[in-house]
Amino acid sequence: MTFSDYVLFSIFYFWASSTALSIGIGYYTIYRPILAGLAAGLILNDVQTGMMAGAVVNIIYIDFVSTGGSFKGDQCLTALMAAVASIAFGLHPLEAAALAFPFGFLGILIWKYRLRINNTFVHMYEKKYKENKAPDISLYDGLFPQLLLLFMSSAVITAGLLLMFSFNRLINFKNISALYYIGLILVIFSSFNILYKIKNKYNFIIFAVVFLAAAITEIRAYIMLILIALILLFTSNKKINIVRNKLKGSIKKGDLVYSWFIWMNYSHSCYSYERLMGLAFAHSMKNIIKKLYKDKHEIAEAVHNHTEFFNTEPNMGTPILGYIISLEEERKISRESFENISYIKKGMMGISAGLGDSFTQVVLTPLFVSMAVMLCLDKSYNLAFIPVIYLAAYILFISYNGFMNGYFQGKDSMLKRVRNVKESRLKKYFPCMFSGILGLSMSSLLFNNIRPLENLFTLVIILLAAGLTFLRRRREQ
Amino acid sequence: MKKLFVRIDDRLLHGQVVVSWIPYLKATDVVIADDEYANDEFMRELIMSSSPEGVNVYIKTISETADFLKVDSENNVLVLLRTIEGLKELLKRVKIKNINIGGIGAAKGRKRYYNSIHLSDHELNILKDMAKENVNVEVRILPRDKALVIR
Repeated sequence: MTFSDYVLFSIFYFWASSTALSIGIGYYTIYRPILAGLAAGLILNDVQTGMMAGAVVNIIYIDFVSTGGSFKGDQCLTALMAAVASIAFGLHPLEAAALAFPFGFLGILIWKYRLRINNTFVHMYEKKYKENKAPDISLYDGLFPQLLLLFMSSAVITAGLLLMFSFNRLINFKNISALYYIGLILVIFSSFNILYKIKNKYNFIIFAVVFLAAAITEIRAYIMLILIALILLFTSNKKINIVRNKLKGSIKKGDLVYSWFIWMNYSHSCYSYERLMGLAFAHSMKNIIKKLYKDKHEIAEAVHNHTEFFNTEPNMGTPILGYIISLEEERKISRESFENISYIKKGMMGISAGLGDSFTQVVLTPLFVSMAVMLCLDKSYNLAFIPVIYLAAYILFISYNGFMNGYFQGKDSMLKRVRNVKESRLKKYFPCMFSGILGLSMSSLLFNNIRPLENLFTLVIILLAAGLTFLRRRREQ
Repeated sequence: MKKLFVRIDDRLLHGQVVVSWIPYLKATDVVIADDEYANDEFMRELIMSSSPEGVNVYIKTISETADFLKVDSENNVLVLLRTIEGLKELLKRVKIKNINIGGIGAAKGRKRYYNSIHLSDHELNILKDMAKENVNVEVRILPRDKALVIR
């Protein structure tokens, strides 16, 4: 690893974990292990090894949801470290994943302290505002927290990599055969855990059938991809709600798009305990408010109103932003107090948060990312991009369309959105599709890379890990 | 009444409540006690259309909630409130032994009390008064978290 490699790793890890500056889709794409592995592979000139290590780490983190539950390390950091270990030390992907796993906890430091440190930027902004200096929200929501994060993430990944390389000099990781079995256990733990988590009667049956069928007949992953694509085609909702009326006021289409773009890029930029996404909301209203008011202090006050506590799921919640823009337009004429707008924001944000997390994070992302993992483990590296690109486009559509519908249709668009997600057939059939994908992934992982039947010890470890997960889950119920 | 659980959480029926608390409490009835929402047609519809399956969700005013709690039934009931003022009103009408504080966002005059819980001095005093009247007031965000008792 040269100095420039360290710089590139720092920049990538910053970009992926900031969830900003990536039009809101970074968290669902480049932050995920398989794509982080790909990036590490690109930097170190060995894409396939990098992706393979990323894919294995992805299975370990497949049961990850940011709202709680099983909390592990930082998946992006783990994947980057695993890819480096696999490429630089020539480790098997399972060994690399096991080695990188403890380093992932270094990444938790960032998430833990970021929310607290970001409070400081909130206080700085408030202080300037009280001094009547009309502060620019984009500095406090954008530049400052991002600079801090760049510093923090560079420090963490550089420390992690240096630590790993010096450990390797002390004890050659290549000689530690236990790593391989630890990796195997981690993979089996998480895949069984997720099968228990997504409650469905047929989970284990589908998993087992696909697993065995793939082992015996050697079905290729792209056949599964076609099958899932067909299921998605038949279950998709054909009635898409798109509302666009004529624009009347001083707000133009470009202003709406710009506001949406800012929201998507910065929704989590200054995520703080005190306001959560409050500053981001105000940031995305800045250009709209500037169109509505002319006086510098009037603008500062109207933007400041929106810095109050706000939290939602950034993609499902966009109707709120669109709707609030239309209310701000009305307020400019009626001159009513901000209280009503605040009440509406707070009422709608909770519903879209719960709804959004249970859809984008629990259904959409695992489904499409696991498809990419499955294709990668089956060595169809190029095809692995299809589900990721589809996922990114899907999320962008959800958020953009919601934003515009919110503006043109008002709060009813949120009501329609809630009903659509609740009745979503994609959500309904998700457990079945996911179990199948996981079955094929595990089959490719275990049979393509190793032959467990030839090695009795490996088989015993696999069965033991599976049995342990089963027993632990039984006791919990 | 089998079991009553009262929680202050201004996000009301959100992820933590649906995923963790409802299964933990084995709640079958969820009452959202809020005067403002009970009289707001849109919010009622929004909450009802996003409510989880398998539980009965009611949106009632504070006084309706008090009447509802007085009726004896065999169901496990979870009452969700948005504000401490609302809780105070409810306590005037019906006796409650345990209160859980789960989430109160920051606002003007409120200071961070614990994690995602923000209280103004006035609100904290109300809670302390309740604790003096032998009501057990705990701060606990998720069921598995350690409870912080307000005295």
